[in-house]
Amino acid sequence: MKVGLKVWRYDSVSGERALREYEIDAPEEATLLDCLDIVKDRHDGSLAYRKSCRMMICGSCGMRMDGAAVLACKTRMYDIAQEGRVPVISAMGNLPIVKDLVVDMDPFWSKFKAMWPWLEPGYERPDDGREYRISQERMNVVHKEALCINCGCCVSECNAMESDPEFLGPQALAKGMRFVGDPRDSATVERLERYNQEHGIWDCTRCYFCNERCPKGVDPRDAIAKLGAESIRLGIDRDMGAKHAKWFVRSAETTGWLREEELIPKTQGYVSAIKQLKFGASLARHGKVRPVPIPHTARDVGEARNLRKVVRGQDRQGALGHVQGERALARLAHGNAGESLEEIYARPGAAPRPFLPGEGQGSLTQADVTPGKEPTRKRGEA
Amino acid sequence: MIAKHDVLVVGAGCAGMRAAIEAFDAGADVAMISKLHPTRSHSGAAEGGINAALGNAAEDNAEIHAYDTVKGSDYLGDQDAIEVFAEEAPGDIIQLENWGAFFSRREDGKLAQRPFGAAGSPRTVYAADITGHVLIQVLWEQVCKRDIPVYEEFFAWQLVDHEDRCQGVICWDLLHGGLKTVGGKTVVLATGGAGRQYRVTTNAYACTGDGMAMALHAGLPLKDMEFMQFHPTTLYPTGILLTEGCRGEGAYLINKDGERFMKHYAPNALELASRDVVSRSEQTEIDEGRGIEGSVLLDMRHLGAERIIERLPGSRELSMTYAGVDPIYDPVPVRPGAHYHMGGIETDNDGATEMTGLYAAGECACVSIHGANRLGGNSLMETITFGRRAGRSAAEWALSHTTVEVPESAERDAEARLRELLDREDGERPWKIREELGTSMLENFAVFRTEEGMTKQIEIIEGLRERYPTVYVEDKGEVFNSDLTQAIELGNMLDTALCMVTAGVVRKESRGAHARPHDYPTRDDENFLHHSITRWKDGGIELSKSEVRFTKWEPQERKY
Ligand SMILES: Cc1cc2nc3c(=O)[nH]c(=O)nc-3n(C[C@H](O)[C@H](O)[C@H](O)COP(=O)(O)OP(=O)(O)OC[C@H]3O[C@@H](n4cnc5c(N)ncnc54)[C@H](O)[C@@H]3O)c2cc1C
Ligand code: SF4
Ligand code: SF4
Ligand code: FES
Repeated sequence: MKVGLKVWRYDSVSGERALREYEIDAPEEATLLDCLDIVKDRHDGSLAYRKSCRMMICGSCGMRMDGAAVLACKTRMYDIAQEGRVPVISAMGNLPIVKDLVVDMDPFWSKFKAMWPWLEPGYERPDDGREYRISQERMNVVHKEALCINCGCCVSECNAMESDPEFLGPQALAKGMRFVGDPRDSATVERLERYNQEHGIWDCTRCYFCNERCPKGVDPRDAIAKLGAESIRLGIDRDMGAKHAKWFVRSAETTGWLREEELIPKTQGYVSAIKQLKFGASLARHGKVRPVPIPHTARDVGEARNLRKVVRGQDRQGALGHVQGERALARLAHGNAGESLEEIYARPGAAPRPFLPGEGQGSLTQADVTPGKEPTRKRGEA
Repeated sequence: MIAKHDVLVVGAGCAGMRAAIEAFDAGADVAMISKLHPTRSHSGAAEGGINAALGNAAEDNAEIHAYDTVKGSDYLGDQDAIEVFAEEAPGDIIQLENWGAFFSRREDGKLAQRPFGAAGSPRTVYAADITGHVLIQVLWEQVCKRDIPVYEEFFAWQLVDHEDRCQGVICWDLLHGGLKTVGGKTVVLATGGAGRQYRVTTNAYACTGDGMAMALHAGLPLKDMEFMQFHPTTLYPTGILLTEGCRGEGAYLINKDGERFMKHYAPNALELASRDVVSRSEQTEIDEGRGIEGSVLLDMRHLGAERIIERLPGSRELSMTYAGVDPIYDPVPVRPGAHYHMGGIETDNDGATEMTGLYAAGECACVSIHGANRLGGNSLMETITFGRRAGRSAAEWALSHTTVEVPESAERDAEARLRELLDREDGERPWKIREELGTSMLENFAVFRTEEGMTKQIEIIEGLRERYPTVYVEDKGEVFNSDLTQAIELGNMLDTALCMVTAGVVRKESRGAHARPHDYPTRDDENFLHHSITRWKDGGIELSKSEVRFTKWEPQERKY
């Protein structure tokens, strides 16, 4: 197939930038990375980009396509080529460009290192010199965070970092959550104190671009939310952001709805609230302040309170609560995806059903290799 | 020389990082050189798991692990090394866990272990299907904790051989340009595999056998180079790997008639037979016309959506992205692809090579615990256990010696060679040679080998090597000149490939990954129970042999 690409070239020696267009012949299964390879091999050997695994695990090939961060090796070109689109390829954002599509990752790694990105082994050290005994369920709290491949796609798109280059950023904070949520770690409080400082978790603008652009489903914004929840659970709530979040909960619990006119004083204190009277006035203009602040309670406030009681009762505060919610959502999604095996085999054009006369599922027992809750059953067993 | 260190580790995959951590803990001033950032190393792509006889899932011990490894190696593994390996593996895994590795767990909270091909007991510790990623992360975390310096995106090119000692490495600084020499009292090579010699491979673009070639060019012996393992389940058409864990979880291999053909080849172990057996069975099915477009099918449908999503999410994503197939609904087209180099730089059990001060570990080394065929899960373990041992012995040697010296002539010669390559004004672009190498290796030196094919392949490689001196680097800049490094990598692949095929032709038997069903279908212990040694001499290859070290297992027929 014919693929067209426009690539923002950059020469750091001369400082020149130029948008160059290439048209190449590529196999139908080609990814963006394959296309760049063809350009480099056959058209222009000076094109610079990083690559290694070409299977979305090494995190080398982050770049922007039409302004949004992607992994080049994860991006198939077939549909784009069919539509006749000629995408613009450029280096990732929020990081200095070295040459063409290659960025300087030093700022990225120095924030990573600021997180104490290693386990501080603590409490329940196994006394038999063996592994820690931890349930899979506890480990699952940081499962998504453990998937991060340090590609930088989230950082590239981060809004908060654009205005505050010092902001620790989605990747580093997700790495932080990786350890805060790890039951083996003993430095939770110290970590949270550090991540609660300026340029830390509360400076995130919640734009969710990081979640959207992360190629591995890490959902860094969720990790930041979990860090927030853990901070509050452990009483690390001096930051305005923490007070703000707490007030949301309190407000929902007491009256069942958000009392915005109280938000600022509760979050920033009364002095600073007075300074923000202008903001208050604009709230009023948008109908967000009731003319007479009479305490008023939503009709179904009981439900809100009950929900909160359930969460408390299960001792699922902080990050655990988040994870529980996520899992519940995932399960709902699974439930809808399931066709039965018979239906799958019966699909038109389905490949033939495997058989092995007189045999169930092979000769090796799978029964004892399963992590987590349910042991795997052999086929045919109840 | 821009800097010097006690221990200089070249390569920052699992083997390199583990060696550096150990050298640091032994009190040495250690640094790493890597052409990729450490977390980008190809160890991170390993999916299935890492073997240690913890005995968490079923009764197991080091002796059974060692026996399985010896048998798997088709009796070409060095048994003293294998015993060390199997005994020290469990401790190394526990240490990784204590460092924070994110392994999967059993219900009782212990580390989970899954069955893997040709293992007598479920002993593969894993993290869903991202085991390598988890290992790379935990090692990188420990490197950060110790603040071990890394010369990142430095391309190691030549060893400094001065006064019969290895005293450093000459590198090309990819990010800033220029040749830079880093001195080291000892150097540990941990540069990984060379699968890029093949067009269909599970290996990353960076796996070009640089370390093997550097050692070869320094006059060191490479051992058992003819043994390249083919992985049975690589995605059509790219060669991206689907983990053996798929079959461990119960996936079937079927041919175009829907038949589980493994019952004809390995009636007991079926899909979980050793990799060489499964690869050959697939190739036979394909060659005899029972494949579909040069591949067979890996069927996971009966595992059900939930199990696939929970246990094999990575494999599912790979299938969907690179083959356009969702394994929940359809079987995935797979075929054998070049995967793992059993051979490499000859070392002793402490990673020491023939050259004083030079050590090697990981896939670029050959201790040898894999012999003619590696078992799945053993190579990650090897990177850790032997990375640690090499790091320790390199540090000990370095701490008892004081000098590092790099003669100016070495740097000048390298500069001259580099300029010659960089200043060439025209010639052939490297990609054509690279593609011809990849295609011909797949044709003539893959799952099945014949006298005729191998002889032809030597000629082809010689022809490509003759063209290589005209290779033209188009990028003349200093900053991130990957055009230059790719040209150097091509030279490394050509030379190591020549070693492989040269050693292969003279091994007139079938053993492990070296299968010659048409002319020498059986193993011949009388004449070939020895390691092949290849060296660079006078611009060509010199072949010799060395003995296999036995302890307690006598060669027997290998059956699964
Ligand atoms: C897809 C895949 C899946 C696998 N799955 C498993 C599995 O489940 N279980 C198992 O046991 N094994 C598995 N293996 C094998 C195993 O992963 C590798 O053998 C092992 O990770 C190699 O580690 P290493 O540290 O030796 O090399 P690598 O991790 O490849 O690291 C090489 C390092 O050397 C550096 N380097 C290379 N050349 C140069 C140079 N010229 N200059 C400077 N630096 C250089 C690189 O930057 C890199 O840091 C798998 C392999 C692949 C390809
Ligand atoms: S949600 Fe927060 S961390 Fe994520 S991109 Fe937006 S500002 Fe950055
Ligand atoms: S969180 Fe996602 S986008 Fe960000 S570095 Fe990690 S893998 Fe990349
Ligand atoms: S090349 Fe490794 S993630 Fe794209």
